Amino acid sequence: MKNYRFALLLALSFVLAAAAFAFGSGKANSVSIGQPVADFKLPDVDGHEHSLASLKGKNGTVIIFLSAQCPVVRAYGERIEKLAEDYSARGVNVVGINSNVTESTDDIKRHISDNKFSFVVLRDKGNKVADMLGAEHTPETFFLDASNKLVYHGRIDNNRDATRVQSNDLRDAIDATLAGKPVVKTEAAAIGCSIKRG
Amino acid sequence: MRSKVFPALGFVVIISLSLSATTARRVHPARAAIVLPQTRKASSARASAVREIDAEGLKKLLQRGSKQSRPLLITFWATWCDPCREEFPDLVQIDKDYKARGLEFVIVSLDDPGDIKTGVPQYLQKMHAAMPAYLLNVADPEPAIKEVDAAWTGGLPATFLFDAQGQIVFKHLGRILPGELRAALDKTLNVGR
Repeated sequence: MKNYRFALLLALSFVLAAAAFAFGSGKANSVSIGQPVADFKLPDVDGHEHSLASLKGKNGTVIIFLSAQCPVVRAYGERIEKLAEDYSARGVNVVGINSNVTESTDDIKRHISDNKFSFVVLRDKGNKVADMLGAEHTPETFFLDASNKLVYHGRIDNNRDATRVQSNDLRDAIDATLAGKPVVKTEAAAIGCSIKRG
Repeated sequence: MRSKVFPALGFVVIISLSLSATTARRVHPARAAIVLPQTRKASSARASAVREIDAEGLKKLLQRGSKQSRPLLITFWATWCDPCREEFPDLVQIDKDYKARGLEFVIVSLDDPGDIKTGVPQYLQKMHAAMPAYLLNVADPEPAIKEVDAAWTGGLPATFLFDAQGQIVFKHLGRILPGELRAALDKTLNVGR
């Protein structure tokens, strides 16, 4: 009986230690560069469910984690829509995901209409996809090639102030992939708003 | 029954906490290699006088390892960031409680450079913040982000605790949990005694 209780507590300690490891690293899961991103399903703001497979572009897909309230995302609104317009004709689709539990469907709808977004924005209420990809803040992008392999992860460009942009990292990654060339810079960090998880 | 269960539960908690702390250290082996003198200029900023800082200035601010070095708590925040404002009263209290115990605590704002004489100092004054305050003004924040922590992708708020040797011993992305941060501070400051 004594040994059984000790074994149970030891097992529990390993479970807690594993949880501490996962939370201590700041990411639940993440996909590395070169790895495929598994298909997922999420509803849009009208409740219609979409899969990654149904939204992906012929030549690639840009997943952008958004927030209706984050000033950094607001500063990028025009640039994000321009990106979607520029690349949809070249077979690369943009998919927006809002994983913030603090934002309502109405907030997200207003965000879409204010920015005249032409792409689908999905609601990730349980942070399922944010956890799967290891997304931490907004705006944060994941560019997948035609076979859904992650080829770029990070910022859109180097500055939220459009007049100070020197490095269009996301566009460079898409352009290289479309040209059949390797992506030089596969990851780039930027300041943003933490995703408010549930 | 109780006398057997409580020590066992204590064991569980100790294992979990020690592994969590190990994780925070493991991510940042490069930090220990930075051993440079601390600058007086960096630590003399006043509460509502916000100083502009660039990537090089931030690097100097992070430098530990000399005999005079103290543990450094550094929080990256912005006035436009909701969770940053939510945690701010806790940070002000932590600064008051731990300053006398040898903690160096600085805050680095990621607000627009145009807010350095208006929005940021006004907010700090309103919050009675006494810790040295800086505003990071860089065209590209990536080198600064990576200087702090290679694993940080830039989400705000972000809080890092460096020990006197310059090693990250605790970090928290998002709104801090005051109890968790205080436990890390107690542990780090007690080690230095």
